[in-house]
Amino acid sequence: MINLTIDGKALQVKKGKTILEAALANGIHIPHLCYHPAIKAIGSCRICVVEVKPGPPRPQPACTTTVAEGMEVITQSERLQDLRRELVKFILVNHPLDCPWCDKAGECLLQDLTHELGIDVVDYEAVKVPPHIDYESRLIERYATRCVTCGRCVRVCRDRVGASAINFESRGYFTELGCGHVPLECEFCGTCIDICPVGALINKLFKYTARSWELTKTKTVCPYCGGGCNYEVHTKNGHIHRVRSQGSLLLCGRGRFGFGVLEAPERLHQPLIKKDGQLVAATWDEALDYAARGLKEVIDNAGPDALYGIGSPRATNEASFLFQKLIRAGLGHNNLDSPARYNFARALAGIAAVFGEAQVSGVALGSVKKGVYQSPWEVQEEAKGSGFPFVLGNAHHLSHADVILIVGADVTPEMPTYGWRIMDALKNENFRLVVANPRKTKFDRYANLNLRYQPGSERLLLIGLMEAVLEAQPGYSPHLEAEGFEDFKKTLLKTSLSKVAKQAGVKDADLRQAGKLLAQAQAPAIIFGHDLMAQEQGQDNVIAVADLFLLIGQPCNKGSALYPIAEKNNTRGVCDVGVMPNYLPGYQSLAEGGGAFAKLWGKPVSDKPGVTLEEMLDQLENNEPEAPRALYLLGGDLVRLLPNRQRTERLLQKVRFMVVQDAFLTDTARLADVVLPVAIHAELDGTYTSTDGRLGCLQAALSPNGTRPDWQIITELSQRLGYPMKYGSAPAIFAEMVQLMPIWAGIKEGHRWPHKKISVSLNGKFVPFSTEISIPGEGKYTLIVGKTLAHSGSYTTHAHGPQTIMPGAELKINPADAQALKVNEGEPVKISSTQGEITVPIAVTVEIPRGVVFLADHFSDTPANLLTSNSNLCRVQLQKG
Amino acid sequence: MMDVERLETILTQYEGYPQDLIPILQDIQDQYHYLPKDELKVVAQRLNVPLTKVYSVATFYKMFSLVPKGRHELRVCLGTTCHLKGGQRLLESVSSHLGIEPGYTTADMQFSLETVGCLGSCAQAPVMMVDDKYYARMTIDKVTKVLKLYKE
Ligand code: SF4
Ligand code: SF4
Ligand code: SF4
Ligand code: FES
Ligand code: FES
Repeated sequence: MINLTIDGKALQVKKGKTILEAALANGIHIPHLCYHPAIKAIGSCRICVVEVKPGPPRPQPACTTTVAEGMEVITQSERLQDLRRELVKFILVNHPLDCPWCDKAGECLLQDLTHELGIDVVDYEAVKVPPHIDYESRLIERYATRCVTCGRCVRVCRDRVGASAINFESRGYFTELGCGHVPLECEFCGTCIDICPVGALINKLFKYTARSWELTKTKTVCPYCGGGCNYEVHTKNGHIHRVRSQGSLLLCGRGRFGFGVLEAPERLHQPLIKKDGQLVAATWDEALDYAARGLKEVIDNAGPDALYGIGSPRATNEASFLFQKLIRAGLGHNNLDSPARYNFARALAGIAAVFGEAQVSGVALGSVKKGVYQSPWEVQEEAKGSGFPFVLGNAHHLSHADVILIVGADVTPEMPTYGWRIMDALKNENFRLVVANPRKTKFDRYANLNLRYQPGSERLLLIGLMEAVLEAQPGYSPHLEAEGFEDFKKTLLKTSLSKVAKQAGVKDADLRQAGKLLAQAQAPAIIFGHDLMAQEQGQDNVIAVADLFLLIGQPCNKGSALYPIAEKNNTRGVCDVGVMPNYLPGYQSLAEGGGAFAKLWGKPVSDKPGVTLEEMLDQLENNEPEAPRALYLLGGDLVRLLPNRQRTERLLQKVRFMVVQDAFLTDTARLADVVLPVAIHAELDGTYTSTDGRLGCLQAALSPNGTRPDWQIITELSQRLGYPMKYGSAPAIFAEMVQLMPIWAGIKEGHRWPHKKISVSLNGKFVPFSTEISIPGEGKYTLIVGKTLAHSGSYTTHAHGPQTIMPGAELKINPADAQALKVNEGEPVKISSTQGEITVPIAVTVEIPRGVVFLADHFSDTPANLLTSNSNLCRVQLQKG
Repeated sequence: MMDVERLETILTQYEGYPQDLIPILQDIQDQYHYLPKDELKVVAQRLNVPLTKVYSVATFYKMFSLVPKGRHELRVCLGTTCHLKGGQRLLESVSSHLGIEPGYTTADMQFSLETVGCLGSCAQAPVMMVDDKYYARMTIDKVTKVLKLYKE
């Protein structure tokens, strides 16, 4: 700790802090402009100057001068104020008087400074700089005239977002913010808008809709990806006008510009019921009665097992918890699952196979009443945990990893938050990044090594990496206690490294170098995502990743963990709270955990595992007697989300009665007998769990406008089915839920589970996996179906913001392939597979290797899953469209 | 349309490291007399540097231009010494001879006119340069003669 005084006030400050940081933390105001806590200080505006003793006679910038023992700092004096005044005047020479119509007015740092310093005349003149205003770019307007060249946007875009999409051009007095060419081509995250101290960057969705002081701010959580960003929604007169993140200011474009979903004209505000084959509007009571009658009929005829429940990674923890309670306690079985089965649940199962099931001990129900959204379970001194949840990484620790291997994930589109953490990690000198992906992705630019493998050959690549690790250090053995290592090693070494390298399409030397990096790493982390999990053999892919982690992982070092990407906002939560056929909430086993549940619910809980979503569809396919007769879907647009669209559609039509809760008339909802419109986004209370297990708390800012929150609908239906569940609010459900989930001990808003005080004892066993690689279908090209940054599922295709960035599907293709097909940028191609065909325009890019094409799966008019069979990969033919 | 081969002959002389950026831009400027947009995109991609970085560099140095320059580049010195020795009048004379303001290029794309800070030959002020050649102790009379040397 360093002792110093600022304006006579004695302070104790951590070493390495700057004077400005010390002052701000202690409530001492120093005027500043180019400094922002989210980015590195560069000391360019000099407005933060202070007198420092001992030190040079001239004033020093507070934002770049670090504190020293015995320092005396003066922040306010006539001389300092004069200097600041002059500096601000220089800025004002060229600053237009736009305040009356500038969106920044009221929260503009230049206004504040001018006011604070009492500048009433600017007695300087200079050549006028020509006004360059960019009205053309999408979502962002740039007023070079208002720019104070503080460089905040340039730094945040380059160092935190990692896009480097804007920079200064020209120099000296004529320096201007540019992006190389109008219009802007970037990630459209909008972070630069919010970090700009003035109105030089304007949010087009917000422009002229409200004055900053008229807005009501409500804290909630982004509903679009597993990153779980906390943000504020700014509302006025019952409408949402913008979304902002406090602190780091980072959000991605879907979060910042995607709120239009709320007021999308296609949203359902009234329930629909099927009459004479048509879905027609009904009142809530009619619809709920109709739904209950339909379900009851099936239950009465075919037994409660005939009703299968499908949860949604969009729903809150509370809704998901009640949903599984209805199935488990109300109907007495475990036939429920969610679309997470096709990705994240595979990750959990794969990691569990290697590292074991979740176990926790040494947590106890506390006696003190806890606040809302807080677990009553306390973590005792002796608390211990083991099993797969303890291998899952903490996002905040990712930047402490010394080597990150990204395999089968396009990080930024799938989950921008991990991308930001990688940008942080890159600041460490010793950090190394290995990116393995068939496509060129954003982080290729930052990687020390790129492994461009053949689509679908992840397991071969991973075998190669494991061999390379063993080769790098003779006598290498895992850091964790690992069963079956010797046998595993023997099997591994049966195939030579060169052979797998060749099969996977990578160079031996690259594999060896990656192996060396991984073997030497003290805190290696592995990120994997949709590309890897969504394949038919996704589970085996994950086992291979988990085996690699068992080989190299050192979870006792911060950051060394597995980081699977859960695609949707609550994919992790829906699994956590038990919308799974084989786990009770908190991953408790059906066989052992049921007691506590039965006691609280007053109903027995079956210990017979239910069937998975995949198995349930197979039952329908084979007309098995166990196949469900009724489906209750809490969202989860299966027709859109699952591979092989035609099959899903066909199978769902076999179901006698279907109830769907959703915000839109989705492709699945169209097949339903009852559609119940739900509240979403800023209309909701409750919690989500981010991919890394952090609890995010939602607060409703808007009225649901005819819709109802999922949990209310569930209680209404449950009541009608003869199993009343009474809750007054989302927090009441949360309270019951956490009481039943000891593994969530210590959790509260913003904190993650497992709790950091639980001491972890991890061990694992090497699990063999199939090495058979096959991509279904036939054709010259391999199609990869994946995610883009502009959209989140199909939800954001209803929002104006994301639609401006990406209005429709495009097939990404290598220039050489495009040329061979004689198709130019933007022209259509017909893609056909054994399953079906669609026609989309092409986007020519060197990101995609020859023979491979990429299609994002967000758009319902050109559904990518019309082509796929059981995987996100398939072979296709292309033809000029 | 971009002349791929022409650009390739420049790019193949370099390893493709980010630090090759400035020399590559210099080569392009020399050959094309400006930095065309499409070419810059390719350079950014090839060197794996953000396009904005390329533009930042391209606009920072006066030797680069984003708009086509004439076949010959005239630089009239307005540094302190030249200024005192009549640099401004020299500039006006050149400017009226060519019919363009500094910073512009003649319609026939033969000449571009720029001003510079100091050409480092103050002893022989006023000074102007055409392409790589210095013209020292310039007078207004000499302007016609010098320009004639370069006119087609
Ligand atoms: S919107 Fe995001 S990516 Fe685009 S320039 Fe601004 S900060 Fe950079
Ligand atoms: S646009 Fe805003 S943030 Fe960027 S340099 Fe200008 S004033 Fe600073
Ligand atoms: S979509 Fe993900 S990264 Fe983007 S703002 Fe929402 S939670 Fe954050
Ligand atoms: S805030 Fe310190 S120099 Fe700008
Ligand atoms: S001032 Fe013109 S050459 Fe120095």
